[in-house]
Amino acid sequence: MSNINISRRVFIGASMYLVATPIWASVFNSANALAVFTESGQFFTADELTILTDIAEIMIPRTNQPGATDAHVINVLDGLMLSWAGVETKFRYKSIIKQVEQIALASFKSDYKSVSQSDRESLITELDKRAFADRTSELSISYRKLKEMIFHIFYTSEEANPNFMLVPGTYKGDISKELLDLYNARGRVS
Amino acid sequence: MYDVIVVGSGITGGWAAKEFCEKGFKTLVIERGRHIDHRGAEYTDMQAPWQIENRNKVPELFDEEGRYAMIERKGYFKNATKQFFIDDKEHPISYPKESPFKWIRGYQLGGRSLTWGRQSLRWGVKDFQANAKDGNGVPWPIGYEDLAPWYDYVESFIGVSANKDGLDTLPDGVFQKPWEMSCAEKFISENLKEAYSDRRLIIGRSANLTEPTKEQIELGRGQCQARAYCNRGCTFGGYFSSLSATLPAAERTGNLTVVTDSIVESVNYDDKLGKATGVTVIDAHTKQKRQYRAKVIFLCASALGTVQILLNSKSKSFPNGIANSSEAVGHYIMDHFSGVLANGEVPGFDDKFSIGRRPIATYIPNYRHEQKDGVDFVRGFGFQGTAQNRSNTGTAARRVGIGATVKDESNQAGPWRFRAIMYGEMLPNYDNHARLHPTDKDQWGIPILHIDARIRDNERKMIKQAAKDIKEILTVGGCVDIQVNEFPESKPIFVGDRVHEMGGACMGEDPKNSVLNKWAQTHDVKNLFVTDGACMSSCATQNPSLTYMAITARAADYATKLISQGLL
Repeated sequence: MSNINISRRVFIGASMYLVATPIWASVFNSANALAVFTESGQFFTADELTILTDIAEIMIPRTNQPGATDAHVINVLDGLMLSWAGVETKFRYKSIIKQVEQIALASFKSDYKSVSQSDRESLITELDKRAFADRTSELSISYRKLKEMIFHIFYTSEEANPNFMLVPGTYKGDISKELLDLYNARGRVS
Repeated sequence: MYDVIVVGSGITGGWAAKEFCEKGFKTLVIERGRHIDHRGAEYTDMQAPWQIENRNKVPELFDEEGRYAMIERKGYFKNATKQFFIDDKEHPISYPKESPFKWIRGYQLGGRSLTWGRQSLRWGVKDFQANAKDGNGVPWPIGYEDLAPWYDYVESFIGVSANKDGLDTLPDGVFQKPWEMSCAEKFISENLKEAYSDRRLIIGRSANLTEPTKEQIELGRGQCQARAYCNRGCTFGGYFSSLSATLPAAERTGNLTVVTDSIVESVNYDDKLGKATGVTVIDAHTKQKRQYRAKVIFLCASALGTVQILLNSKSKSFPNGIANSSEAVGHYIMDHFSGVLANGEVPGFDDKFSIGRRPIATYIPNYRHEQKDGVDFVRGFGFQGTAQNRSNTGTAARRVGIGATVKDESNQAGPWRFRAIMYGEMLPNYDNHARLHPTDKDQWGIPILHIDARIRDNERKMIKQAAKDIKEILTVGGCVDIQVNEFPESKPIFVGDRVHEMGGACMGEDPKNSVLNKWAQTHDVKNLFVTDGACMSSCATQNPSLTYMAITARAADYATKLISQGLL
């Protein structure tokens, strides 16, 4: 994995939709596990789905628990773009994908899909830090809005809520961890 | 020709319908909103989070088009519940810029009984005496003893889960098994009981069935399943609503007729007879007018809805609105108000957990009926609060951090925290009023309401005291890391935000300064009654619906006697 730092100039350049000067100190890793989409969704193109899916999985990776891809986060997001998203959100989400591509190109002289997995992770991690350090730029606003929605979709998914009970039956407010686990295993508070 | 017309099918309209129908009177319920079925397609309570359309987010189009502006940020306004609230852009009101008002409404069969908070609290003796005692508003013509048997009656039917706490300020009633307090809530409750003679933390009193009676089961209602999805409608009938309880009870008598999509424009009055003869309605879709006639009219259209109808019902005898010889219609508008939020960690229970979703909070009843401790305000406040679950570390959705470690640290159990919100009693002030807008009309040609109701000096003083009190209460309760958020004095507080708007046709002994007598019957028109929130002469601190229901049942009983005697 490359030890890189996204520069302020790249950050600002991308946020202004300009092709920024690449200053990434990077080493390309050819083993770039990337799920490449070949068909477009309802709203996003195949390329956009590829990048979004990768971003979501970097944000919420599969561990010993399901990750964003397991929970079909971007598939759901693609649908929500038609039923939920407003004009501004549609623009922002398309925009942030382009900006991520530009940052990748400026930093690695390569399009995002060709960048190594570790560099992509470094890029999104750095972007996350920057977006929360300075919340005023358009890039930050678009990124944070996308991140919030990716997290929302994941944490409302069935995969992320294995203990959810639609019908608990009753409420108990003073139980041990063992009893909690027992009720969760039963799927009912009884 | 009906015996009775009931305007509105919400929490009081349903009760009026049930009472009249069960006593053999042909009753017409007129609802301005659409028809919906109990357990019908609009209920979303059987959907898991991943099954709810848009993952429970309302379409952003609403925001872009300025729709639902009054409630768009409210936690209860979600995709799964949005169908039960109206869009204020389609149903505008007017208010002065410096004193904003929220009128949160639900136009469907069952009205806001589908989305109410279910906290079912009796008023105490002191609450009914407050106006007479401190000279604010119009003295109540009834006392607790007048309503007590009707509280019993209503509680028996709706089903209230509660503990018998033995508090004078919050009388006990006919209760089903209470919900359990969490270990953290019990801890605070016990500490307060030991330290104070007047401050208690009790479990909320909730219209959610914990021990359904035979009568409730026969109506198709079942035990609450601790899902806390009440405001999505309840397939189990676990919480009380018009749809689950009163309207089915009325319907099974064969005496009920319901018309929906029918907006009552006015109450018709015969100057020669000196009686109301019926109502004029406007079809919500065709905008065609039609009339219905009845011997008795019950207005249960919600406090402000009823005020609008009264003021818009003009005749030779009542040029300023029917039953308004006192000029009091539209005055003394109230709501509960907040202004203080607080929370504190409850230490010592790291090995304890909760499960299930309790449908009610805990409650600290008003302990400031008297002006003790040198306070410079009258009336008082209470707090609603909860620590039913442990706090949660949450996710990094809105903070820095991504990846496996961040994921693993998300949604982990944190410490128990008790959160509280103040509920203050707004004084009945004549200047807080609603009137018909002189020029602006809604899409049906009815003048919209202009509402000018303000949080004033007495309420602001209460907020300051409440902030001090809750800090002390949480400290005494055993909390640490206490945070108190007091609403800035410079910012306006939206009256109506608590969705407990009331007043506008107050009860009183004197026809010169009140609209209704002790039976919620208008002083001026004997066959016209108002039993929704408009009838309230003060607002106390308790959630008001139980009292509305008791007043309605009592008024209906009185009216049936008058009808039977040929006096109406």
